This record gives sequence, C-alpha cells and structure tokens, in this order.
Amino acid sequence: MTGEARQDFAFAFLSILFEGAPFILLGTLISGFIDIYMPPGMMDRFLPKNKFLAVLMAGLLGAVFPVCECAVVPVIRRLVKKGLPVSCALTYMLAAPIVNPITALSTWKAFTGPVVMIYGETVQANLVMTVSRMGLGFLVAVLLGWVVASIPMVWVLRKRLVDELKNDMPDHKAGEHGHACCGDDHSGQHSHKHVESSHACCEHDHSHEHIHAHKPDGSQRIVAAMRSAIKDFVDVGVYFSIGIAITALFNTGIAPGAAWLDSIANRQILAPSALMVLAFILSLCSTSDAFIAATLDKFTYGAKLAFLVLGPMLDLKLLFLYQTVLRKKFILWMAVGLFITILLGAYYFQWFLNQQIVP
Amino acid sequence: MNVKLQRIVFSLVVLTWAAVLLYFFGSGRIVKYLAPDFRPLVLYGGLGLAVLGLFVLLTAGEKSSCGHDHSEGDPHDHEASDMNPFTSMALMLVPILFAVANTKDSFSLAALSRKSLFDEPLSNNVFLAENLPPLTMADIEKTHKKSEAGFYEFNLMELYFAAGDPEIQKLLNGFKVETEGRLVMEKENNEAGNRRRLYRLFITCCAADARAVPIIIDFGKETPPTIAENAWVKISGTVTFPVERGATQVILQSASCVESEAPWEESFMRNY
Repeated sequence: MTGEARQDFAFAFLSILFEGAPFILLGTLISGFIDIYMPPGMMDRFLPKNKFLAVLMAGLLGAVFPVCECAVVPVIRRLVKKGLPVSCALTYMLAAPIVNPITALSTWKAFTGPVVMIYGETVQANLVMTVSRMGLGFLVAVLLGWVVASIPMVWVLRKRLVDELKNDMPDHKAGEHGHACCGDDHSGQHSHKHVESSHACCEHDHSHEHIHAHKPDGSQRIVAAMRSAIKDFVDVGVYFSIGIAITALFNTGIAPGAAWLDSIANRQILAPSALMVLAFILSLCSTSDAFIAATLDKFTYGAKLAFLVLGPMLDLKLLFLYQTVLRKKFILWMAVGLFITILLGAYYFQWFLNQQIVP
Repeated sequence: MNVKLQRIVFSLVVLTWAAVLLYFFGSGRIVKYLAPDFRPLVLYGGLGLAVLGLFVLLTAGEKSSCGHDHSEGDPHDHEASDMNPFTSMALMLVPILFAVANTKDSFSLAALSRKSLFDEPLSNNVFLAENLPPLTMADIEKTHKKSEAGFYEFNLMELYFAAGDPEIQKLLNGFKVETEGRLVMEKENNEAGNRRRLYRLFITCCAADARAVPIIIDFGKETPPTIAENAWVKISGTVTFPVERGATQVILQSASCVESEAPWEESFMRNY
C-alpha cells in the first residue's frame, strides 16, 4: 500500500468509525441491560393468541425490546425453549434488528441531507430510507413468520432443539422440581414462575417464565449488565472494524474490484444483488450499517435499501449463529426466500422513485 | 480463558477506542471527519466508552448475578464471546491504531478523483427548482455580499449546482462573483495549460461520503499564478456556462486569484 493509499484508507476508516461507534455503544448498552433485566417470558405477554396476529405483533416487538442481530439469536433460542411459537420467534429474530428505535435513529442520521421527490413534493431522504427500511424489514419478517406458522416445527428447528422441546412438554416429569401441587396440564405452551426458593407450590401465571430468585443485590446486576454490554460491544465492534476496513478500501478505490463495483452501480438488478452480497460478507451490525450504506454514493437508494434490509437478516456471522437454532436445509430455503423477496422489494422501491423524477 | 482476564482485555480495548474518540474531539481534528451535527456524538460516545471500560475494569474481580434462571442446556453465561478475546482485541485495535498513525485528515487527489472531482457537472437538478418560487436578480443581490471590488460572494456549491438549472444560468451568466476552494490542475480540454479546477468537499455525514464539488477556472491569456497544487485560494471573476464535451460547464473567467488560509473545517457549512 502506498503512502497516499494508507492516508486515504485511514481517513475514510476513521470517519466511518467516529460516525458509527456511538450508535453501537448505545445499542450494546441497551442490549446488555435487556439481557440481564428482562425475564425470558416477558415477551410472550405481548402476543395475541391468534397465530397470524401473533406473528404480526412479533414483527413489532423490536420497538419495545430492541436488540441487534447478534444478540437476538441467543435470545430467541431461549424463548423457543420457553414455549414461544417458532413462527413468532423467527419473525422477531428477523424484524427486531431493523424495526427498533436505535436502528431507526442511526438510519435517520446516516441519510440526513439529501432529498428525494415523492408525488411532486421534496421529501428528506432520511425519512424515506428509514420508513422504507423498517417497512420492508417488517413485511419480509412477517411473511416468513406466516410461512413458518404453516409448516411443521421439525422442518424448521434443529433436531436437538425439537427433542428438547418434546422432552419439556410433558408435565414437568421427574427432575423438574416436583410440581405436583400446581395442577396444570403443562401443554407445552405454559410454564411456571417460581417465587423465591420455596417450591412448595408454584404461582401459576402462565407466563413462560421460570425464575429462581438468587436475590442478587442491585449492584451485582448492574455489574452483570455492564459486563454483558462490553462483551456485546466487542463482539459487534470486531465485525464493525472489519466491515469499515473493507468499506474504506472500496470507498477510496484501493480494493481490487472497486472499479467493477462502481461500474454496476446503476444496474437495476445487479446493483442491489451486489450490495446484498456485500452486506452478507461484511456482516455489519444493524445499529451502524446505515453509515456504510450512505457512503456507497454511486448506488441508487433501492440498492442501498436492499443492503440495509438483507444485512440484519442474513450475513456470514448469522449463518453460523442460525445453525444453533435452525436446520441447515431451512436456513438455505430461508436465505433464498429472503434474497428474492428483498430484491423484489428494493426493485419496486427504486422503480417507484424513478417514476417521481421529472423527465 | 480466565473470565477476569477477558474483562480486563475487553476494558482495555474499549478504553483505547474511547481515547481515540476523545482525542479527535478534544483536539478539534474531528471537524475534518464529520458533519457538524455528528460531532457531539463523538464526545458522548467517547465518554460513554470510557465509563463502560473503566467500570468493567474496576469491577473485574467482583461478583455479579443476572438474577434469573436459565433452562437446562442453556449455559448460564452472559459473557461468552464469539471468539478468543485476544483475537477480538487484535481485530479491534490493529485497524484503528493503523488508521490513527496514518491519517492526514484529508484524501489524496487519487481518492478525490473517485469522489467526482473530475466528473462532469450535474446535467439536471431542476426538480428542486420547480418547487421553489422564481428567482430574481434582486433576490441574488439581496442574499449575497458584495466585495469592494464589485464581486458578489458565492458559495462554490451554488455555482456548481447552477450547471443543472437553466433559470439560475440565465441570471448568473456574465455575473461577477467571488468564491473560494482548492485549486488543482484541470485534466481535460486544457492544452494551453491555462485552466485549473476549483473544488471543495461537501460532507453529508462523514468524510467517507464526501463529494467534490468542482468548477473550472479559466485564466484566459494570463499565465496562471504559481500556487501549490491543492492549495486554498480566493478567486474572483466572471461566471459563464458554455457547453463543452456535451455538458454545460461552470467556468469562472479569473480576474484575481490569491492563496488564502484554509478554512477551519472541510464541511460546506463552514464559513457560511
């Protein structure tokens, strides 16, 4: 690398890092505190009984329980084991990293400045991109949730997880604290909340919650939350560093292939497809990926939308994380489905924007 | 790895990031990297990281508890990381320290050529103008200061965008203006060597999304002044909009060109 190339890389790298790091911190602090303070069963209480409505609602839960895509996989693994319907868990898993206030704020900030034309009116690009990103993300997640709601769980979840769920379904058989007094049928959708350490008779709130009170003092939980936050920050920061390093190389023309990437920037199908592949490889956090998308200035808003919606749902690191919960075959079909649906959504979005331009 | 050692390693990583953020904010160098409304976030982010890193470092040996149970097979561990902590540390520290050591707070001309420095001007931005009331010469004179030599002070961006707006072109063609920017050699249509390109960067959010906003400076029969490549200049002259290479160009026929002090920040909002 020449001296000039090093200078360019360093300047671009630091500028994106300065822009995104505060948002990663905000996201991981919230994630850390949710990790410690939110009981696993709390989410179920927000969901209606009807499975189609439940899937719809699950797509919006990220607004209340914001987590990024790295944090969401361990959370949904726990939630599924606690009885949350798989369709709702997957919908939440795909939607929460996008439909959440931190991602909305970072997308808003990243696209501040330019305007686009909608129905003859000039509209801020940040409003258009934020709404479109959340809307398409929600739609895709809900569609997948409805598909999953209509297929057997064994097609979706890993065999080991299915076996664990089956074993958990019968009425708290031996070894599960001996809840003879509760009188519940333990249908697999209900569990118990233990209060304090007295197991004489459990309370029965059907909350999917299983709390043993260790009675920690407040400072111990804050220490745990901060540790969880710093762990999340480092986990996300690693991918963020790698992602912005690659982006800076392309942004300044140092990376081989940068010229090719520029040359396809205006192709209607190839450009969003290429950015989706880039999102898959970069494995960025949804709290900060908008800052990188905004720097891809040769690409259309449609291609950037594809980048911003696919990335939080499917990338290289998620591929490994998903395998802790989902069957490989299902992951493959899900990936194909996500790619095609998001590509179509982004294509339609760009077509709509193109219709607004005065000839 | 020992969990206490992992906490110390992570704390040091976070504290290093905090130090870099706070240094660039405190030294004022941040103005070259971010648009104004992003800069306070660097301060808050740096302080937040410092608090987080110090807190975890100082409590690395203390007991903690999450206060809730985990089901069987679900490891009771809120600190298990994706990868070896030393690998994480290397991946987070090597790039940032390399960048801090190599940055000169600006792009080279090679990088700027990818950021539209030598691109043709925009051919059409009338969709914006259509939503604005008609512009008059009185409006222009009212909103721009006039120098003692009779030149109206214009932001370079205004001149650049005039290339895509016939209404403004009609008003400004032959108008005496003064503007500032960085001067580099013009590459195209410059056999006589009497043309230069004047540009400055427009930053939407951060330097990585910066775009060069250039116009052409024509010195006519005069010999261009000897000014270092990429130096800041204040230039006054008559603006014209000829069609060259199939596009409407913004060309300033120079009457005066003097080296000037670099503004304190790169963003277009500075000094205006």
